[in-house]
Amino acid sequence: MKLTELMDKSLVDIDLNGSSKNEVLDEMIEKLDQSGALKSKRKFRKTIEKREKEGSTGIGFKVAIPHGKSKAVTSPKVAFGLSRTGVDWNSVDGEPARLVFMIAVPEESAGNEHLKILQMLSIKLMDEQFRTELLQVQTVDEAYELLDQIG
Amino acid sequence: MKLLAITSCPNGIAHTYMAAESLRKAAEALGVEIKVETQGSIGVENEFTPEEIEQADGIIIAADKAVDKSRFTGKKLIVTGVQDGIHKAPELIKRFESGDVDAYQGDGKSINEVKQERKQKQNPFYRHLMNGVSYMIPFVAVGGLLIALSLAIGGHPTDSGLQIPKDSVWKQIMDVGSAGFTFMVPILAGFIAMSIADRPGLAPGMIGGYIAANGSFYGSEAGAGFLGGILAGFVAGYIAKWIKTWKVPSVIQPIMPILVIPLLASILVASLFIFIVGAPIASLMDWLTAFLNGMQGASSIILALILGAMISFDMGGPVNKVAFLFGASMIGQGNVHIMGAIAAAIAVPPLGMGLATLLNKRKYEKAEQEAGKAALAMGLVGITEGAIPFAAKDPLRVIPSIMAGSMVASTIAMLGNVGNNVPHGGPIVAVLGAISHPLMYFIGIIAGVIVTALVVNLFKKNVA
Repeated sequence: MKLTELMDKSLVDIDLNGSSKNEVLDEMIEKLDQSGALKSKRKFRKTIEKREKEGSTGIGFKVAIPHGKSKAVTSPKVAFGLSRTGVDWNSVDGEPARLVFMIAVPEESAGNEHLKILQMLSIKLMDEQFRTELLQVQTVDEAYELLDQIG
Repeated sequence: MKLLAITSCPNGIAHTYMAAESLRKAAEALGVEIKVETQGSIGVENEFTPEEIEQADGIIIAADKAVDKSRFTGKKLIVTGVQDGIHKAPELIKRFESGDVDAYQGDGKSINEVKQERKQKQNPFYRHLMNGVSYMIPFVAVGGLLIALSLAIGGHPTDSGLQIPKDSVWKQIMDVGSAGFTFMVPILAGFIAMSIADRPGLAPGMIGGYIAANGSFYGSEAGAGFLGGILAGFVAGYIAKWIKTWKVPSVIQPIMPILVIPLLASILVASLFIFIVGAPIASLMDWLTAFLNGMQGASSIILALILGAMISFDMGGPVNKVAFLFGASMIGQGNVHIMGAIAAAIAVPPLGMGLATLLNKRKYEKAEQEAGKAALAMGLVGITEGAIPFAAKDPLRVIPSIMAGSMVASTIAMLGNVGNNVPHGGPIVAVLGAISHPLMYFIGIIAGVIVTALVVNLFKKNVA
């Protein structure tokens, strides 16, 4: 199984409009909702906010991974957004986030296939070369091709 | 240098694995060997073995969640947040190189105690078995003691065994005890399966155990006994666990644990017993019966040895049943000595295990010590099943020990010309006057009990 089974091209945005963390979160939640992954946008937003309060998901290296495990999620999905300018995410290293992966996981689900995929994504994000390539993509197809390598 | 690290974060979805990867990369760059255990939402992966912990030069815990440190008593240990694992991996590793780390003092448990615990956790077969046995013990104790009491007070020796008159209150008490015994094997199997597959395993395990214990499902005169129950429990558990890994559409997911997994696993385990295990059990019984009938002309000592071994092998299972029915049928033909030998053998497993728990408490857990007392009472009235909790928990050590003791008892009884015209065992039949040469009968039982207790305690290790 591959990461791209949890996302399609409609969940890839190579030019996020939002200029703040909140705007970017809204933008990406909207995408997940349109893909049919959410039962309730409002509830999922709350889950995401709660996780951000426990500690920023800006892990540094220009990467943020807002994520929520919630009953408001019907099926596991990942959205990817690239911010050209970068937004402040309270990251540990102080750098603005440019690569944003939003992860939606249902509260209960049989099997852990999707968790394995998120594990692979996490590992891949520690790879500096991969991050650099992802920062330089010009089209959705290019981004999708890179993400397709995961899994 | 060899290091170990544990990473963990609250959701266990991303940071855990990022920190793990970051530590692995840093270690590789610094030429340090590292193994990272991840405690994420998938569960614990890459778990350390006790050997690895022993050989490690240090341990890093990078977690935003509580991690059990008891394994690391006496080892150099850094405890920090998961973010440090992601961002400061090289610095963490270098602290061990500069010797800037203190050893973890632990919470009072010695390394040996922790090691012992780890060892037990390590063998999943043993762990699942323990779980099943611990739930089974009260059923054996309740059932066995009530049956023992009603037989001892209300029982009359007859041609067809110890009988309690139908209008006696002891008959009802006996029936309550029998109800307890009925659940014994299903509970054993059910909780073995639950230990393997969590809740979805319980129903298939119990149903499988019930089928295993009831030969009528597969046209056999006797069920497969507790050994069959253990088999049913493991099979049901692993089938349920396997079905859990299936990828199913999300509409079906909510009903997987309550309906789909129990249903499929029950059908599979039932089919296994009815179509695959059942027939061989029935033919094994036929074969053993023919074998015993063919032995009649041979040396009575050899026959006594064989019968003693068979009685204790599965305690109420098919092998035991064949030996018992053979002895009972021989009474009808006027040969009461075979039943005499069998009656002595029957008392040995519960009495022997009961004595063993009294002789050396350190080798038995608290629950087992209590089960040992109940076993003593059951042994006196010839309920072999009293030893089942011991045999089910540790079959490889216990079954040979009780077989040896029973063989000694049956042989001495045979040599002493002991006769028994009631198809039942244990000291009670002698008290009720059904035994000829009771002195040799008791010498046989006592010798067998001592042999079993000494042998099993020789094999058994101290519990932690």
